[in-house]
Amino acid sequence: MSDVVPAPTTAVPAPAPETNAVEEPLDLVRLSLDERIYVKLRGDRELRGKLHAYDGHLNMVLGDVEETITVVDINEETYEEVIRTVKRNSEMLFVRGDGVILVSPPSRA
Amino acid sequence: MVRSLHFPSKTPSVSRFLFYSFFKTLVGQQVTVELKNDLAITGVLISVDQFLNIKLDEIKVVDEARYPHMIPVKNCFIRGSVVRYVQLPAQAVDTALLQDAARREAQQPTTAQQGNVRVK
Amino acid sequence: MEQPSQTRSPTDFLNSVIGRRVLVKLNSGVDYKGVLACLDGYMNIALEQTEEWVNGQLKNRYGDAFIRGNNCYTSAPTRLACHRTA
Repeated sequence: MSDVVPAPTTAVPAPAPETNAVEEPLDLVRLSLDERIYVKLRGDRELRGKLHAYDGHLNMVLGDVEETITVVDINEETYEEVIRTVKRNSEMLFVRGDGVILVSPPSRA
Repeated sequence: MVRSLHFPSKTPSVSRFLFYSFFKTLVGQQVTVELKNDLAITGVLISVDQFLNIKLDEIKVVDEARYPHMIPVKNCFIRGSVVRYVQLPAQAVDTALLQDAARREAQQPTTAQQGNVRVK
Repeated sequence: MEQPSQTRSPTDFLNSVIGRRVLVKLNSGVDYKGVLACLDGYMNIALEQTEEWVNGQLKNRYGDAFIRGNNCYTSAPTRLACHRTA
């Protein structure tokens, strides 16, 4: 990590006041704190839960989580693909960010 | 034990501290760590480090029939990078405090925000 | 390491497509089509009015979507090909 250096000419901007404007992608996630979000993960997994915390790696803590795992079974005789979903629930879940593909906040229409 | 999340005020990469501090508040709790290879281990959280490596004691593999070689193992060290999830006891988590900590962390400028991420 | 100011850098290109409809292709074969809201140095991407396409089929729509980009700490789930769509 020590080999990543900010460009020396770039002055460090002052911390931006908390706003509702989406100026960088992580703002989308910040504005979803305390809201139920949808998370798509590697391995055909999806989560729906209330966002309690996140960081720049997209590590997250979600509450009242429903996990949906999509499994493709191959019928041994017909070789047909049978798609099956498994659902699991947990009260409080830490999710490691490296598995995250997509985060979608509740629609703010 | 003081159960609060506190951060050094001038850390360059605050990102490393939020979940590290969070997990430190959960030491002594029973958690279930699910690995990316689907192995799930329940145990008492003994310690955590900045990489979110985890030490568990009094462990029990959730699906023992599938992993019989794990039955005699009583404690373990888990490399943070192989973790998919950690299931936590909800009553041990102060969600308001966590959300505040996450918001506070979001205010810190990150290297990504500064635009020019150079690699030597 | 300073770029000559007259050449257009990748960053200039990306800045010029903000607000336009783009196609984001992932390594997994999934495509996302949407309006590029913003991106950051890790190539995290925010899209609006996003459509998720798999094997030429529309699978999902999201009002807003955050797509995790390449970053220095982990191998990335996303390979970013970002091009203008008609």
